[in-house]
Amino acid sequence: MSYLDLKGINKSYGQFVALNDVNLSAAKGEFVTFLGPSGSGKTTTLMIIAGFEKATTGSVEIDGRPLQGLAPHERNIGIVFQNYGLFPHKTAAENVYFPLQMRSVKRAAGLKRAEEMLELVGLRDFGHRYPKELSGGQQQRVALARALVFEPSLLLLDEPLGALDKNLREQMQIEIKRIQRALGVTTIFVTHDQTEAMSMSDRIVVFEGGRINQVAAPLDLYHKPETRFVAGFIGESNLIEAVVTDPVARTASAAHLGEVEYAPTDKAKKGQGVTLMIRPEHMRLSRNPIEGRRNAQMKVETIVNYGDNALVIGKVGDLTMRVRVLGADVVIIKENQDCCISWTPDAVYLIAK
Amino acid sequence: MTRFMKWLGVVVVIFIAAPLVIVVPMSFSTARSLQFPPPGYGLGYYQAYFSDPSWLIPTWNSIIIATATTVLTMLLVVPATFALVRHQFRGRSIADLMMLMPLAVPSIVMAVGYYSYFGAMGIVHTHIGVVLAHTALAVPIAFLVLSANLKGFDRTLERAAMSLGASPTKTFIHVTLPILRPGLIISALFAFIHSFDETVVSIFISGRNAETLPRKMFDSIRQEADPVIAVISTLLFALVLLGLVGPRLVAALRNRRPRVQAA
Repeated sequence: MSYLDLKGINKSYGQFVALNDVNLSAAKGEFVTFLGPSGSGKTTTLMIIAGFEKATTGSVEIDGRPLQGLAPHERNIGIVFQNYGLFPHKTAAENVYFPLQMRSVKRAAGLKRAEEMLELVGLRDFGHRYPKELSGGQQQRVALARALVFEPSLLLLDEPLGALDKNLREQMQIEIKRIQRALGVTTIFVTHDQTEAMSMSDRIVVFEGGRINQVAAPLDLYHKPETRFVAGFIGESNLIEAVVTDPVARTASAAHLGEVEYAPTDKAKKGQGVTLMIRPEHMRLSRNPIEGRRNAQMKVETIVNYGDNALVIGKVGDLTMRVRVLGADVVIIKENQDCCISWTPDAVYLIAK
Repeated sequence: MTRFMKWLGVVVVIFIAAPLVIVVPMSFSTARSLQFPPPGYGLGYYQAYFSDPSWLIPTWNSIIIATATTVLTMLLVVPATFALVRHQFRGRSIADLMMLMPLAVPSIVMAVGYYSYFGAMGIVHTHIGVVLAHTALAVPIAFLVLSANLKGFDRTLERAAMSLGASPTKTFIHVTLPILRPGLIISALFAFIHSFDETVVSIFISGRNAETLPRKMFDSIRQEADPVIAVISTLLFALVLLGLVGPRLVAALRNRRPRVQAA
């Protein structure tokens, strides 16, 4: 049963087309992420849902009720902005009370409710502080409490973690998910950070150039990207141009690699130009060819160490390939050495588009 | 070099402060006219100021005119600033320029203009005339202060307020206005001070009926060098000092309550 519906949304500014036929349905309680590079239309879509931008054509419906003609303050949608948008002249509790005040809740009762909400986001006893007396992560929590306290029909998060450092960001990812689940509020989260999208979402909507490129669950998006753009945007990958030579034997011909066998798919036609995707962690690095696997000679150019793992980048002919190896295994190889990379046909995913 | 700069700083400060150092003791003088150093000290001229209607009436005139100027200026400047800072429209840059014009034109030119213009309208030598002229001169100053404040205003706050259920009017009352309050107060204060302090235009158009304090002081110093002028200067100085130091004192006292560090 769909709860939020975006139907055929187009948005243009003069000649410039910002959104091109955006359609999407989300179920009640779902956590949907809009992922894409800047200028891909994800924030514009969010602002149309919130009512701050007007779609040129198309409609937004919540629970079957169209939002058209409703001003932002009539939509009952909670938003957390990138820089939080906390009112500097109000304390944390007064900030959280604000939406209740606008709904004519009495001050005493409203402030009590605000304190309860602050407790839910882990800010018990912080109600009397002003925003400038709070850290970035705490401000974030206040903004979240404020956007949720009035039981909105939808929660919108506009890159809310962008300003936080890495550790705090991971902590907040977990926090936001916990609170979102606890309240069961349908949520749209906008980000350009693919790891954030992967770790938090029920479904990810990938935006590119004002269009929706693919909508899928995080792991499906990772393992079965429908387009080359998604394959390149989500995670590290080796993307190899190839031409299908035999759909029955599942082989395609690629420059510098020759005939490559790919995983079963129904999308390949003989003679078709395709992209073959091999994730770096699905390949192995060795000194000598390994029997039973497809091997290729690679000259190592760069080794990027992450500690627990390393990314080995090298050339097979003119083709750049990336292989991920466990940190402990990287000692077998040095830069400018020749080595072997290998994979099995299961690891070769064919992308028709 | 740094030592030289330091001494230069001291000299400049002394030069700036010297008039104050001279004026304040002269106000307590017993001499018959302005004289430094004073031959003796007393409160005679303070008594003279507070009991002489020829001083008190101009003081009241100035207060009334400055207050009316402030109100009128803010009524014009607040909407104008919002329009000019937040909206793009045809002729905006010309409107911007016109707002600032009175600042660029010499006061004496403005004064002559008002004298003949208001003369034709029959409002020369009236409170209304002076208020209108002072408003024209105070508008650019109030506009400069307020527009700087408004440009720095984060509009996300207004969007946040609306998303939380505040109508545009309520957003203005609960969010925009309180956050801009310091800017509005300073802007109004500047308008008030500008009117209270304005001399050139007042000399031309205030006449006997709407005589302002600076005009009266100017007349007085030309005729008799009455030490009451020093009294008024001292009182004004004390008032300004209070206005400058007062808020800081309040802020300092407020900050003395234990501050909790953000974790």
